[in-house]
Amino acid sequence: MSAAVDAVELAVFQSRVHSIAEEMGAALRRTAVSPNIKERRDYSCAVFDGRGRVIAMGDHMPVHLGSMPMSVQAAIDAIAFEPGDIAVLNDPYAGGTHLPDITMVLPVFGDERGAPAFYVANRAHHADVGGAFAGSMGPAREIFQEGIRIPPVLIVRRGEVCREVLGLILLNVRTPNERRGDLEAQIGSCRVGEMRVRQLVDKYRAGKLQVLIEELLDYSERLVRSELRGMPGGMFRAEDWLDNDGVTDAACRIAVEIRINPPASSMDIDFTGSCAQVAGSVNAVRAITVSACFYMLRCLLAEGAPATAGILRPLTVTTVAGSIVDARSPAPVAGGNVETSQRIVDVLLRALSQAVPSRVPAASAGTMSNLTIGGVNPRSNEPFTYYETTAGGMGARPTLDGISGVQTHMTNSLNTPVEALEYAYPFRVRRYGYREGSGGVGRYRGGDGLVREIELLAEAQVTLLADRRRFRPYGLHGGSEGAAGRAAVIDAGSDGEVELPGKCSRRAAAGSVLRIETPGGGGWGKA
Amino acid sequence: MLKIFSTPADPSAAVLDALGRIGGADEALHATEVRHGTTVGTNAMLEGKTARVAFITTAGFEDTIAIGRQTRSRLYDWFEPASRCLVPRELRFGVPERVSAEGAIQRSPTDKELEILVEKVRASGAEAAAISLLFSFANPATEKRVEAALQRLGVPVSTSHRILPEFREYERASTTVVNAALSPLMQRYLLDLEENVAQRHRGRVQVMQSSGGIIPARIAAQQPVRTILSGPAGGAIGAWQMARWASLDKIIGIDMGGTSTDVFLADAATGGPQHTRESAVAGVPISVPMLDIHTAGAGGGSIARFDAGGMLRVGPESAGAEPGPICFGRGTRPTVTDANLLLGRLDEASFLGGGVHLDRRRTEGILNEQKGSLRTAKDFAAGILRVIDTEMEKAIRVISVERGHDPREFTLVAFGGGGPLHACSLARSLRISRVLVPAMPGALSAVGILFADTARDFSRTVMLPGDAVKSCDEIFVELERSATGELAEEGVEGVVHRSMDVRYRGQGYELNVSYDTHSPTRGLEAFHRVHQQRYGFCDEERPVEIVNIRLRMISAGERSMPALRTPVAGDGRAACYAERDAFFDGDFVLSRFYRRDGLVPGDVVPGPAMITEYTSATALPPRCRAELDGLGNLVIDVAEERA
Repeated sequence: MSAAVDAVELAVFQSRVHSIAEEMGAALRRTAVSPNIKERRDYSCAVFDGRGRVIAMGDHMPVHLGSMPMSVQAAIDAIAFEPGDIAVLNDPYAGGTHLPDITMVLPVFGDERGAPAFYVANRAHHADVGGAFAGSMGPAREIFQEGIRIPPVLIVRRGEVCREVLGLILLNVRTPNERRGDLEAQIGSCRVGEMRVRQLVDKYRAGKLQVLIEELLDYSERLVRSELRGMPGGMFRAEDWLDNDGVTDAACRIAVEIRINPPASSMDIDFTGSCAQVAGSVNAVRAITVSACFYMLRCLLAEGAPATAGILRPLTVTTVAGSIVDARSPAPVAGGNVETSQRIVDVLLRALSQAVPSRVPAASAGTMSNLTIGGVNPRSNEPFTYYETTAGGMGARPTLDGISGVQTHMTNSLNTPVEALEYAYPFRVRRYGYREGSGGVGRYRGGDGLVREIELLAEAQVTLLADRRRFRPYGLHGGSEGAAGRAAVIDAGSDGEVELPGKCSRRAAAGSVLRIETPGGGGWGKA
Repeated sequence: MLKIFSTPADPSAAVLDALGRIGGADEALHATEVRHGTTVGTNAMLEGKTARVAFITTAGFEDTIAIGRQTRSRLYDWFEPASRCLVPRELRFGVPERVSAEGAIQRSPTDKELEILVEKVRASGAEAAAISLLFSFANPATEKRVEAALQRLGVPVSTSHRILPEFREYERASTTVVNAALSPLMQRYLLDLEENVAQRHRGRVQVMQSSGGIIPARIAAQQPVRTILSGPAGGAIGAWQMARWASLDKIIGIDMGGTSTDVFLADAATGGPQHTRESAVAGVPISVPMLDIHTAGAGGGSIARFDAGGMLRVGPESAGAEPGPICFGRGTRPTVTDANLLLGRLDEASFLGGGVHLDRRRTEGILNEQKGSLRTAKDFAAGILRVIDTEMEKAIRVISVERGHDPREFTLVAFGGGGPLHACSLARSLRISRVLVPAMPGALSAVGILFADTARDFSRTVMLPGDAVKSCDEIFVELERSATGELAEEGVEGVVHRSMDVRYRGQGYELNVSYDTHSPTRGLEAFHRVHQQRYGFCDEERPVEIVNIRLRMISAGERSMPALRTPVAGDGRAACYAERDAFFDGDFVLSRFYRRDGLVPGDVVPGPAMITEYTSATALPPRCRAELDGLGNLVIDVAEERA
């Protein structure tokens, strides 16, 4: 603890700055329009210092942990901010992760002349950003097919919404009214954050804030280092695979070497053995890979540890440019954020379990089973796009069974209530329940996956982006693998069902029924 | 005022005993009305002692009661235990039926199918049944048929269209299941109590709801989920009632106990205490309207410790009653109470009437050992108070700032054992300029229950576009008819309050605004205004949607005010019993100690001072001043801390 800040001031400051991120989230959730944001809470909010270092992040979506700072950095690099400005961006190759995640960044100025003293940012997953497939999550071959790409630009200039920029975005998406509502909610949430940061600044005298920020970052670093000091040293290797990339059949390898150095209280994570970037959309930009590492470290810390930039200091992450964990333009990336991110965590945990076997669970479902459906709603004659992920089984833990039907690792989005879904879309849900027996057996059982059946009441384009069909969620220490994922469509007027590949996009007639079965978690220990 | 010990084995014994004592030996003294607040339901939930409930829903959706919203509650904890579902797998049953979003019945169960269902439920040995079918609020016909069939089993049956006729199936089902799970216990308890009161005292029993309104025991027995936070609701209503008598119309209440602090907000302009429909008890969502009481894990027993990074953390872990704080003699981990003692803010002689010995030396010794990087035990103690204040400040922000209210416009009403100790420092950090420590702090809950309105809530999901607002009239008339009928049965006449939940089309959360039958569009105008206030933007061009309509029938409670004593300017010297050091604003300063019961209306006491009483103590920092008003409340002008 530095001399200038004591343990008390630090606790007070951390609590205050964290509540800013939470309040931004509350404002966003309550004013957003699309079910994916308002019901499923697929968003994150964070506060950054003047150098773009994250100092507080709401407890929202782990996949955004390491990647939000890169968005803020990209905005700072690209824009000479003035008071009242808000930047918007989604380009994965300039601070984004995949195109549906739209990020806004608002600078908070200490005074009119200086540089921004803080930034607040939020990111929300939009149910459609244009491109070849409704819902913008289809089996693309180039990023140009995945939707509109927005480099860091101003969407609000000196307090006024830039109609041209907003218009350009809305013209390129399938559901402009919904997008407008969600973007307005993001702007409102940024302003809530700005107001709250100003109130925070008022509470401290000049200079004190900077000291507190440094101390907060040092504090997070100390937490991680104290954890690493107590771990066994050595090199731990693991690999796992994605079934395919959605456009070719080749499996995609993710490999990692984790080197833990307790005396130096540091950790090096090297993804060099992973495959080159692939033709389909399961490429991850480096921001996602860093998020997965951030997530693993954060899970090793006690509850309540703040997710700040300091956590990453004891860590080096090595990736090869142009690989599946560090993709380069124009590789498509929609699935990198949702599928590859989960597989990176699986690989990290498999390696970590060799170091600290009693602290690491077996593999969880390992896929978000993303479903996007787009078409025209016959009730309103307006276009619609629907996006939802379905949870699977959690991997068994040493001492505990895995939980069934629950979001794991990089996501924690809620389900859309059946009644909200049927109000909003021309669907009828026919079944939603546990997929009995899908968890891997073991001394502790993996959690079961879920089954969800949706009947389409109008013709629509259906896109599935899922994995863990060939390579099932692994068990640990003798526990069995979880069941593979499955999906099928029963076409209108036919009894037979057609099995769907994990990654595909097809037209489906009104009356068709889709069934998604998500993987179970792996077991832990011999049964 | 009479306080007696509870009798957990049979809670009604204590109630009847108390009634007997109030009536004395004179059996002729008859109560006409007994008002009751109870924690029987809450305790059953917290202790997991609820009935075996059969859950009946649309076939294909049996597991939804367990899946919930498919999220985990701790984002970064690989060892989070699975949450407990009130309905185990073998007690979940499906009915082959379906109602569409528009309320059209697409599939109806045959009588035969219903018969099979009834037999299955019978065989399961369920002690209660909860029925929640998809879209039952849009068309309850099927749910009513299932209900009628299950009535044959002779166990309490709860149906979702009666308990909560609103959309979002999981929250509706969860609320219905909680109702069913509490039914056998609460029916037995409340109906017995009512019978006994009727026989012995010729009175009837009324019960406090979590929403702050009173309902007859008979209704509470049918809908026990509405009484689950009966006790805390009494406290909030009591604090609000005291504030109203003191002519305050905007308050933030803070009730700090041993393990946690409850905070709430009330504003006369929006009907008093605020309500919420997003509560949870023991982790189970409950969506009937409740007072919006937010609980923070910050109490007198909250434990302080340094984490691996050297930051001071206080709570939510609590020393509880066993082992308790260090100063009680057995605890070994520093708590908020220990910090208050070391800083001279607890008076050993008057603490709980002097009945508890507070071991100061032991406390100082242990704090010294555990002070981490801080210089002295005193610094440690001061730090504990700052951190716990920050936790409470955060809780207050949730119910004020996050809901669009500026705390500076409110008076902080502090009660509970610890509230008055922390009120002034909290007020300062929130820039609140006035604090009220109400009279009778130990009986606020009873005051609240006594003076609460009789209130019944009715609602229905309508999902109408804004331009169809006028058609709400018809539905209100229909709701009103059944509501008036129910109330008339109880011999109560109510005033009708109509409101509607409105949102921009497509949003997921609604704002509640009044509905004016003469000018229905006025409510929509109010919606834009409130949206602007709360979320910083509104758009009058954007289409709006009416999600639910709500009817609240209120029959006003007794309004008699306690006797007002004319204040006479005084300095309270007669109540001053000591002068010694207490810790304020970073240092010990010589402070006067006053006995609260020695102060008379009109006495003005300047800080630094401590005003002690049986259950609590008020800390009055330098430059603040407290005045005892004509009702016996302490009204404090809070001066800002000297920079």
